[in-house]
Amino acid sequence: MAQYEKILLRNMEQPGYRGSLHEYERTGGYQALRKVLRDLSPAQVIEAVKNSGLRGRGGAGFPTGIKWGFVPKDHPGPKYLCCNADESEPGTFKDRQLMERDPHQLLEGILIACYAIGAPVAYIYIRGEFRLGAKILERAIEEARGAGYIGPRILGTDVGIEVYVHQGAGAYICGEETALLESLEGKRGLPRFKPPFPATHGLYQKPTVVNNVETLCNVPHIVNRGAEWFASIGSPPKSTGTRIFCLSGHVKRPGNYEVPMGVTFRELIFELGGGMRSEKPLKGFIPGGASAPFLTPDHLDVKMDFESVAQAGSMLGSGGVTVMEEGTSMVWAALRLMEFFYHESCGKCTPCREGSSWILQILQRIWAGGGRPGDLELLEDLCKNIEGRTVCAFGDAEVSPVLSTLRYWRDEYEALIHQAEATRTTKGEIPVLTM
Amino acid sequence: MAEQHTPQLLRVTIDGIAVQVPPGTLVIEAARQVGVMIPHFCYHPKLEPDANCRMCLVEIEKMPRLQTSCSTRVTDGMVVRSNTSPVVQAARKSVLEFILANHPLDCPVCDQGGRCDLQDFSHEYTPTVSRFTELKRIFPKEYFSPLIETQMNRCVQCLRCVRYCDQVMDVKALAPAGRGTMTEIKHFGHHALDCEFCGGCVQICPVGAITSRLSMYEYRPWMLKRTETICPYCGDGCQFTIQQKNNELIEVNSTYGAGRNRGDLCARGYFGYHASTHPDRLRHPLIRRPDGTFREVPWEEALEVAGERLMGIKQAHGGEAIAGLITSRCTNEELYLFQKLMRVVLGTNKIDCSARYGHVNGIEPLRRVQGAHRWTVTFEDIVAADVLLLVGTNITETNPITGLKVKEAVKRRGARLLTLETLLPVRGSISNITTLSSCHIPVHPLGYGQAVNALVKAMIEQNDVAPQIREQAVEFYRTIESVLRTCSWEDLECDLGVSRYRFFEMARIFREAMRAVVLIGQGVLRASRGADIVTNLLDLLLLAGHHQRPGCGLGVLAEENNDQGAVEMGALASYLPGPVSLSDQAACQAIASLWMEELPQGPSATLPEILNQARVGHVRALYVVGENPLASLPPSFNVQEALERVEVLVCQELFLTETARHAHIVLPACSYAEKDGTFTNTEGLVQPVRRAIDPVGESQPDWAIFSALSVVMGYPIEYGSAKEIFKEIQSVIPRYALLGPAPTPPNVHQDVVDRYLHGDFQVDVTQRYTWPRLSPKSEKRLTLILTQSLFHSGKFSTRAKGLLRVQAEGTLLLNSTEAARWGLQPGGMARLSNERGAVSVKVRVLDRVPEGMAFFPEHFDHDIRILFQAEVDPLTQVPCWKQTSVTVEPQ
Ligand SMILES: Cc1cc2nc3c(=O)[nH]c(=O)nc-3n(C[C@H](O)[C@H](O)[C@H](O)COP(=O)(O)O)c2cc1C
Ligand code: SF4
Ligand code: SF4
Ligand code: SF4
Ligand code: FES
Repeated sequence: MAQYEKILLRNMEQPGYRGSLHEYERTGGYQALRKVLRDLSPAQVIEAVKNSGLRGRGGAGFPTGIKWGFVPKDHPGPKYLCCNADESEPGTFKDRQLMERDPHQLLEGILIACYAIGAPVAYIYIRGEFRLGAKILERAIEEARGAGYIGPRILGTDVGIEVYVHQGAGAYICGEETALLESLEGKRGLPRFKPPFPATHGLYQKPTVVNNVETLCNVPHIVNRGAEWFASIGSPPKSTGTRIFCLSGHVKRPGNYEVPMGVTFRELIFELGGGMRSEKPLKGFIPGGASAPFLTPDHLDVKMDFESVAQAGSMLGSGGVTVMEEGTSMVWAALRLMEFFYHESCGKCTPCREGSSWILQILQRIWAGGGRPGDLELLEDLCKNIEGRTVCAFGDAEVSPVLSTLRYWRDEYEALIHQAEATRTTKGEIPVLTM
Repeated sequence: MAEQHTPQLLRVTIDGIAVQVPPGTLVIEAARQVGVMIPHFCYHPKLEPDANCRMCLVEIEKMPRLQTSCSTRVTDGMVVRSNTSPVVQAARKSVLEFILANHPLDCPVCDQGGRCDLQDFSHEYTPTVSRFTELKRIFPKEYFSPLIETQMNRCVQCLRCVRYCDQVMDVKALAPAGRGTMTEIKHFGHHALDCEFCGGCVQICPVGAITSRLSMYEYRPWMLKRTETICPYCGDGCQFTIQQKNNELIEVNSTYGAGRNRGDLCARGYFGYHASTHPDRLRHPLIRRPDGTFREVPWEEALEVAGERLMGIKQAHGGEAIAGLITSRCTNEELYLFQKLMRVVLGTNKIDCSARYGHVNGIEPLRRVQGAHRWTVTFEDIVAADVLLLVGTNITETNPITGLKVKEAVKRRGARLLTLETLLPVRGSISNITTLSSCHIPVHPLGYGQAVNALVKAMIEQNDVAPQIREQAVEFYRTIESVLRTCSWEDLECDLGVSRYRFFEMARIFREAMRAVVLIGQGVLRASRGADIVTNLLDLLLLAGHHQRPGCGLGVLAEENNDQGAVEMGALASYLPGPVSLSDQAACQAIASLWMEELPQGPSATLPEILNQARVGHVRALYVVGENPLASLPPSFNVQEALERVEVLVCQELFLTETARHAHIVLPACSYAEKDGTFTNTEGLVQPVRRAIDPVGESQPDWAIFSALSVVMGYPIEYGSAKEIFKEIQSVIPRYALLGPAPTPPNVHQDVVDRYLHGDFQVDVTQRYTWPRLSPKSEKRLTLILTQSLFHSGKFSTRAKGLLRVQAEGTLLLNSTEAARWGLQPGGMARLSNERGAVSVKVRVLDRVPEGMAFFPEHFDHDIRILFQAEVDPLTQVPCWKQTSVTVEPQ
């Protein structure tokens, strides 16, 4: 089995490493911050991040340096950095580990990002259920403040940065960057329409960068070891660095695996993950969190980088790889995912709000033996009418499990409908919505 | 290039039609301009775009996906396809299909049917059969409020209601609750909605999800007859549409953008329309029998008796024995004709109107200092102001729509608000304008004189006086400076309970303004020496150098709908129409010759003087039109004695009021809804009032009664219509010839200002800036203040059943600490007493009321009036009586 150098998970995999400031510093922690404050201008930091090719790890994969570059330089008044730690995508659990096990790595990334964009304040918006993570971060912030890394005059310079932890209240949609900002402002967490983008009109309508936890954790390493080093990892030029893939489902060894981008799904699932948990063969998998369309065993040799997965018709998304073995009903899988999306649709825009409940009801009916001819065409049509017509990307996400299972496992749906037709005695029964 | 292209405009093509629009224009608005209507639910030009309904999707060249035209701004060269794009058409169909999936389709029982956007768009875009065969979501019916009904199954979640209540009203009473399809619009708290009941959410809801309970199930829109007219309550002068069916008032609403209110209304306007057709309306003329009861008589008889008796007094004792009082709620035509009738036919100058209760305290100083008797600014100037100073007003409660302009300036345009007000900045269910203030100084109701002293003093002491005043009016500011030297900061701080630095801060902000507007409310206008306070505030404007700057000025908030008109029609003591002062001989002569009449030479008399003279027998006949002094003044004013003493009392009224009950002859008059005419709003705009329903019973418009009476009295001043009277007004008052959709404010008269700055100010400067020290707070007594409520206007509104559902009685309002101090329970009773008597009232806790004080709404002062003592302002004859002190016990 190939061995890869770990970057983000390196510290925490050292035996006994508990993530204290002292331990973090001993591994070279906060050297990047010192270097930045001492030697680099904000523009140089942004340049380095651009050159590294780092792209967002939260889902959309937007180039981080370019995002930072959108923040107006000479804006009068405050700017903000928001760290998106709402990690709620089903099958995704990397940010949690990064925060709980090595909080200072994240803090250092946050501080450098703040310096680069000129934000005196950063908020870590953390998923409500991550109580432990919030506590650990609070403690780490206090430690860092004590050591002069956070505060009005960091390390004696005239750069001042404050970092606050803000706990969410349990809505998946608050991970969407603009809903996150609304929620931070104390409002109902509903996405905003874009443009304008947060880079110019973000928190309190001030320029704001929203970055994922994993994205920010990469930053100190880019500063320490150079953009060229980072750009040489993975599948350059478009997919550089490592990614932490969250492997779950019917595999032997689920867990977080940090590998350079570009390894194949086969390697992740069958080598690192130890293969299928029982002897049943692989049936399908979700390559990037619940929002990413399903892929099939035919895609096992696709490289896990942005382009290759997109070419295969899906996306790397949040890095959550969920594996399903033969025998799993894909109708049922789609139904389970749809239940999630129905429950989490914020209700702001019509197609997503109404479409999610409509689609869910059709799937429930089919699964319960009430399927009818025409249901599948209707499903596809409804999905098409949601896709690309909503305020936020949730709309695209919620249709992907349905569309992709219909694409690869349509026969399973058809079988259920045929069976229903064959056994139907009374026509026009009233389906029951249970949730 | 053949086509001319203006550089500031952007070119856009919509469905093949080219148009140029200014930068910032939304695609949906650009389309509207070329006649392409893009269907929409969540978009409303009053609100910030939210782009949630997705109905307005269009295709834009070079942009991926369909774009929402309600949130996309035009760029140069943009090519948009709406009706011409099959993709767009399909998208609209699909959005409607989604909306209709959970919609109950209960149009047959929905009040919106016939004017529903969802209905209209569905007819246009969707097939008659739905593909939705699943279960519809159902919200259980919940009681919402006494005036507003919700039917959440019909809601399309466009959030217009929520956004209106927040962005326009600043009330924030509504919010979406729940997620996804289970999202419904709710209010806060486990009780019925308690908000400002402006009706805005009802008006702005594109479907029938929020409706008015006053007209439920009573109509279909096409059955209603509509009349555009003006609200009869406050001086804001909102335009609205009365909708009636078979002569019954069904509903009032206001079209988007209409009138000075731009389609916004307050509770009184939206829900208060039933006052006009209250069952107690007088339907026939009445004559009093010797035993005090009334008998109905035909008009001929009533007019004959009234005419004979008034004429009898004139012949026996001269016109000076006759006096007239009229309410400022009448139209300009009626006010004008009344004073003309009194002068020309009855030969008296003793005429006064309800502007005497306070408005005149603002008018006199404006005339004196600026030479203009009305606002020199407009609502637009309020919106455009960068600094607003509000003195003595929680503007929402008296002038809610002017209040909206203030809110717009502060919330949307970042103006800085300065407030001198009794209220504490505590939010509640009704707006408290001080909560938007950047610099609020709480002022005791008796302390406005001193507070303005402090502000002027601060301005002078920190050298904020404008250079032109310092150089050219040395005497003026030096004199004020030296007068104010006798008023020490220590005393001011002690009395006002506020550090001098707050005043320095306020003065500085005011001075630095580019566009400063001062608005003055009832707290000052009805205070003792209110005119002095207003004059001193005009001094402040002068000192800051703002008086000549465009967009700067001082506005007096008119409480009654036509206070301003009443003054200008000459229905005010010592003025002829114009207003022309009776002492201005040349101007009086000009009017006389226009009228081709002799003017009476006798003295004029103000309302308190008229009542005094009646009490001692100098005034023997009283013609009272819509005014109810018996209920408007406390018993200590002895109005009853005056009414009983006069030999002839003619009352022209809508209702048999306390005053009318003493009348010998009662003439039934029409309400605003039954007649034509004009009202002049607080900013001076003259607006048409139109007859919406037939007169109730035999009632007649006031002007028609005056006209008929003049004929009976053998001295016809006849007019065939209100229009004819208005034409005459236009010839007498040139300003009334300038009509239009917006007021044309007068300029400040520089010669008057100069005269004031270089001498006239001296007349009373020492006295104006000398105020008695406030007596220290008494531990044993509570200051009781009569205030105005948003839900009522005078006593007229207490006949409106809709408003009574929100507020049907007066309650004593005090804060929780104060309630606890006196041992009072919210909802319990309190006994208030002083030397003059004792009354029991219900208690309500309202935390914006400052310590040591309690408020009571004046509209329900019937019993509580006995506790008050009136004091007449020696200068302007305004009866001041809105506060007293009482001891309190729980009961
Ligand atoms: C419905 C929805 C949920 C999302 N949830 C998360 C999340 O939990 N964590 C996250 O980092 N990004 C989430 N995102 C992506 C964010 O909107 C945003 O793209 C990301 O935080 C940007 O950071 P990055 O550039 O570092 O990836 C979500 C997006 C959508 C549409
Ligand atoms: S797409 Fe769904 S989650 Fe996103 S704004 Fe619309 S309703 Fe909310
Ligand atoms: S009536 Fe007016 S104040 Fe009340 S909820 Fe509706 S919009 Fe808000
Ligand atoms: S109640 Fe009316 S205005 Fe409010 S969200 Fe629903 S449909 Fe829109
Ligand atoms: S009108 Fe544009 S999205 Fe609702």
